[in-house]
Amino acid sequence: MKLFSKTLLAIALCSMTNAYAQSIAITNATLHTASDEGVLTQASLVMDDGKIIAINPAKIDADVVIDAKGAIVTPGLIGSLNQLGLVEVGAVASSRDGRDKDADISFNGETAFNPKSSVVAYSRKGGITRDVIMTSGGSLFLGQASLVELTGEFNSVITPTSAVVMEFGAQKKGSRALKLQQLVDELTEHQQQSSEKPPKKKQAPLSNKAKLLNQLLAGTLPLIIKTDRAQDILHLIKLKQQFNLDISIAGGAEAWRVAPQLAEADIAVILSPLQNLPGNFDSLHASMENASRLDKTGVQIAFTVVGDATHNLYQLRFDAGNAIANGLNPASALKAVTYNVADIFNIDAGQLAVDKAADVVIWSGDPFELSTHVERIFIGGKEYSTQSRHDKLRQRYTTDSQMPRAYTK
Amino acid sequence: MMKCVPSFLLVSLAIGLTACNQASEKDSKVNINKDPYPSTYQALAAKPILIKNATILTGTGEQLDNADIWLVDGKIKQIGQNIEVSNIQIIDAKGKWITPGIIDVHSHLGAYPSPSVESHQDGNEMTNPNTSRVWVEHSVWPQDPGFDTARAGGVTSLQILPGSANLFGGRGVTLKNVPSTTMQGMKFPQAPYGLKMACGENPKNVYGGQHIAPSTRMGNMAGYREAWAEATEYKREWDKYERDYAAGLNPTPPQRDLTHDTLRGVLDGEILIHNHCYKAEEMAMMIDLSKEFGYHAGTFHHGVEAYKIADLLAENGSCAALWPDWWGFKMEAYDMVPENVAIVDAVKNSCAIVHSDSADTIQRLNQEAAKVMYSANQSGFDIDEAHAIRWITSNAAKSLGIDDVTGDLSVNKQADVVMWNMNPFSVYAQAEQVFVDGAKVFDRHDEQYQAVSDFLLGQQ
Repeated sequence: MKLFSKTLLAIALCSMTNAYAQSIAITNATLHTASDEGVLTQASLVMDDGKIIAINPAKIDADVVIDAKGAIVTPGLIGSLNQLGLVEVGAVASSRDGRDKDADISFNGETAFNPKSSVVAYSRKGGITRDVIMTSGGSLFLGQASLVELTGEFNSVITPTSAVVMEFGAQKKGSRALKLQQLVDELTEHQQQSSEKPPKKKQAPLSNKAKLLNQLLAGTLPLIIKTDRAQDILHLIKLKQQFNLDISIAGGAEAWRVAPQLAEADIAVILSPLQNLPGNFDSLHASMENASRLDKTGVQIAFTVVGDATHNLYQLRFDAGNAIANGLNPASALKAVTYNVADIFNIDAGQLAVDKAADVVIWSGDPFELSTHVERIFIGGKEYSTQSRHDKLRQRYTTDSQMPRAYTK
Repeated sequence: MMKCVPSFLLVSLAIGLTACNQASEKDSKVNINKDPYPSTYQALAAKPILIKNATILTGTGEQLDNADIWLVDGKIKQIGQNIEVSNIQIIDAKGKWITPGIIDVHSHLGAYPSPSVESHQDGNEMTNPNTSRVWVEHSVWPQDPGFDTARAGGVTSLQILPGSANLFGGRGVTLKNVPSTTMQGMKFPQAPYGLKMACGENPKNVYGGQHIAPSTRMGNMAGYREAWAEATEYKREWDKYERDYAAGLNPTPPQRDLTHDTLRGVLDGEILIHNHCYKAEEMAMMIDLSKEFGYHAGTFHHGVEAYKIADLLAENGSCAALWPDWWGFKMEAYDMVPENVAIVDAVKNSCAIVHSDSADTIQRLNQEAAKVMYSANQSGFDIDEAHAIRWITSNAAKSLGIDDVTGDLSVNKQADVVMWNMNPFSVYAQAEQVFVDGAKVFDRHDEQYQAVSDFLLGQQ
């Protein structure tokens, strides 16, 4: 009988976790919406079928109701431009799929992404629900960026091609001048070929590269260009205007120096708020106030993690906190790790708003504070754990046992 | 009689020779100068200061609320509540927090400076697995802008170490974080030298890749043991020389050797070991190695697996200088737990330290310590700020052998002090004023106290 009830319970649990359509309401919450609605107190939110279906409905109607007891609730944070799921251990070649020196624009990490990577579960501790991973090739383009969700479940690549990524700036060999010229030539050539060839019935199918270039030139696929020097950013503003590209700057150590031009050209900057040292001659004017200055000038900013951006992805919120300490207003900081990332990469998430993906985090306090942790995290309307093998290791070595540690599991 | 003459002659000759030796023929003693690049550091000029009404973390484990601290002649004159002094500069620190100056036991500033250009890669002498002969102070570029940004983060003292490519990477040097045109002008007076050793992947990969020993972890161990065996001989030769000389003999001095000078310094207890070592089983072997050759294993740096052997570290009196959360960049850094520092710290007689090894995180060691404190408390620990501040102050000072003069706010210690705008364990906290030996070296709100390195000066 006892066994029987356990089995029933197990079935019930399974069906609970698999019940994708189960609706969940969070009530009595302080919703930081990352939208024009700002902060809603004593508010409620309902998720169903992977999306947020209601904010502050007149009547709560959901399968599960969670009383947030006033806690802060935000959209799930969105990381970008790292190699989550493409690298397990940096120096272990067989655990790396994010780099290939021969690769070009067609390099896409979709089929290499490992949702079971220990970094995925670990990153959920930081409230990260979605991430834009990127490959790193050695040619004109580094490759493509892909949107993944951090469910840890199979098939968690949402959008295989979210952007194309390249670098422009200081080079170990050769000149940046040549690189920019190559890009201009590539785009010009492709434009000419496209316009010269009238459509024929039996035309060969377009190559992957040609399709991507088409999308770039149509302004439908974002082109992310990693660059730091202010002068280089001005060149890229011109490039955007010349080809009508959807360009965003990544890195942008000196972006604040050309903030008005960036605002005017409607170019976003994906930056690390902690980058304040002159790593080379392109970033002599790196500043902790980069984020706040850009924001005040009306430039859209998004945050990424500096250094080992993959394993340190979880600390994205702390970097945002540091940006606040250096003059950024908290509402902009939240957008920089949610809505703005979504906007740059055309992701239908990043806000607590109806019809957005139900990526929702309940926090123990101010999401940017070191003392705060994730209480509960929902991705696509389903709850996930923040436990990872790190917790298992800690438990093993802080649990008393007469047996060797290996028996503590 | 005839028999007697030669004997007599011999005796007088012998006496003559001895007399001659004593008078002029005994060689002067060879003394090795142990401080050939001496500190020229001098504290900046400072008037006495009284900081009042602050929340003070003493670095000795205490928190004093609404308390005052009085700095005179570079020293802490008095600390406590209601200190009244007339005719003195007073800073009202109501709402602010005071801590000892932050100390980083693991930095490469100056040796791997910003900008990180080819000409500046001076931190690793990757030409031999044993480069105990090199001294990283000879690589330090005092104009590294990273010293200035670290100072803005409250760092008042730091140890610069050579890199970890070699089994023995060379000597480290402890600096006062003051702007200076020379390395000597920053050098922490009287601080003992450190010797960088490295376990694990780095040395075996660097040399194994060139088909030179070591190419394995057992090769690493053999490399250390051979070096210490040679150093033991070297020490024996010099000890004998000194003993014989003191006994009035005229011994031939052993051949001087810079590599073994450093290792001998460790065997003599004058140079402290700073051992880059990630893994539990390797740290345990390094402790046995130190016992095999009669020196102290010193401080383990990085120690991602230190939590697995917390008892052993404390028992051996070894400090562990750790990151809160770096991991996954190589195999030996895979088993990270965010509570590592706290688990090491929880054992009696432990010495847990939060270090940076980074020009970025050295600017926020307070936040690095906070990450540990809050992660641990979430997992059932009960650590407060007064305790956790020790990880970046007094415990660090102990590791560097400077805890008799700095690292906490006890009376008569050097007045290395940071005033924070709020609780330094907040992500929003910033160092507002930083004092080294009682002199203000940084003020967030006064450009007059914001040093700019030569490198950045006048850049357009």
